[in-house]
Amino acid sequence: MTTEARQARDGRLLPFDMRWESVPWWAVILAIVGIYVGWSVLTSEEYLDALAFIINGVRLTLQVTLISYVIGLILGLILGLMRVSDNPVLYAASTLYVEVMRGVPLLVIILYMGFVVTPRVREGTGGQVDLQGVPAAVLGLASCYAAYMAEVYRGGIESIERGQMEAARSLGMNYLEAMRHVVLPQAIRRVLPPLGNNLISMLKDSSLISVIALEDLLQTGRLYVSRTYRAFEGFNSVALLYLIMTLFLSLVVRIVERKAAIE
Amino acid sequence: MNSEPIIKIENVYKSFGHVKAVVDVSLDVYPGEVVVIIGPSGGGKSTLLRCINKLETIDRGRILVDGHSITETKNINKVREEIGMVFQLFNLFPHLTALENIVLAQRVVRKRSQKEAEEVAHDQLQKVGIGEKWDSHPSQLSGGQQQRVAIARALAMDPKIMLFDEPTSALDPEMIKGVLDVMLDLAEEGMTMVVVSHEMGFVRAAADRIALLDKGSLVEVTTPEKLFSAPEEERTKEFLSQIL
Repeated sequence: MTTEARQARDGRLLPFDMRWESVPWWAVILAIVGIYVGWSVLTSEEYLDALAFIINGVRLTLQVTLISYVIGLILGLILGLMRVSDNPVLYAASTLYVEVMRGVPLLVIILYMGFVVTPRVREGTGGQVDLQGVPAAVLGLASCYAAYMAEVYRGGIESIERGQMEAARSLGMNYLEAMRHVVLPQAIRRVLPPLGNNLISMLKDSSLISVIALEDLLQTGRLYVSRTYRAFEGFNSVALLYLIMTLFLSLVVRIVERKAAIE
Repeated sequence: MNSEPIIKIENVYKSFGHVKAVVDVSLDVYPGEVVVIIGPSGGGKSTLLRCINKLETIDRGRILVDGHSITETKNINKVREEIGMVFQLFNLFPHLTALENIVLAQRVVRKRSQKEAEEVAHDQLQKVGIGEKWDSHPSQLSGGQQQRVAIARALAMDPKIMLFDEPTSALDPEMIKGVLDVMLDLAEEGMTMVVVSHEMGFVRAAADRIALLDKGSLVEVTTPEKLFSAPEEERTKEFLSQIL
């Protein structure tokens, strides 16, 4: 075979092979299933009825998730910085927090916030501060996820070579300046994927707040089922709505990651 | 050289666990002087250099930089502003361009305006011979170019002293000359330099004095002429025979 012929063959075959490999098959399957599910839902009166009722829970789920996530990001960053600190008090305090929060199930933390912390705070402040409802839920989710995120940040910061901090310090920057301008910008770029995963997990874990009588997506679904006894349509609708939201979020996370990678 | 030493190292000790890295070293460096520290690897050269700007804290002894004791000073950052340091592995900030690498500390530490800092940065890049690379990220530069950006970054702070920690040992042979040329220019301009290096060409051309460190101890402090013609200590002869 001549060189040209070989090139022609490779030139023809290679892109063909690659095209099949580069198809996101999971997305294709999902789309087909999605169309089927969408079709059967939209043509079914029961599903339309269930969705119309349950979709009212979406707002609260999104609201609690996003507020908790932002608070978790900030609190987690502070805890993560304390975890890499040379100051023994800061280190011990943050380590204690992380170990406790990681060791107690989220469901227990949420129940604790709702039924122990909320009444105590109300009594303690003479009814001035009432955490009942969304605040208690946010407190539970954010305080737990802050512990996970602290470990993510810590890992990211520790993955940056020591020489970066040394170079910044040798230029006369103090520890916090070096952290802010040199180490953190690199560390945060590295931890974007796990932080994105945390957002998606948090959306799902927010279903646990239904135990403190908040009408989030799951609670609304259970309400529907208890009223109509249509468990099948009810919980299918709940699952479908969660899935749509997590898929959307994972798309957003991908775009953010890609943008950060290019920069 | 009748003025006061700008760096005064007095009986300094430094250990890492059981390993004695620096043992009772005393050395004075005068303004405008180029002192090259040589010696076998693991001899404590880099550690001694890193003690001067307190990247390592010393166990015993005293180091004075421009009259300030670096162990007793309240604000080590003030002392570090006056000491530029160049690392073996460059340690450029990979998320910033060459220009931004040089601008950052000028803005944060020297509080210069963005415009002024950029002008200084462009000047320094020009000086080290890569003015046209200002918009490149470190990953787009060769090792030699990266090291020259690192030198420019240190010089932009107008330091009184420059420390070089094996600046050419991570470079490909054809990259070394460009970096050494920049260092030679700097020495000619009268910069006080403490250099850990085995580049004997540089030693011959620029060094005022040479210090040989072995097992953490100062074996001999000598001049280039004496070093190459008649080293006094047996250990120095042995070391030279290995590297020349």
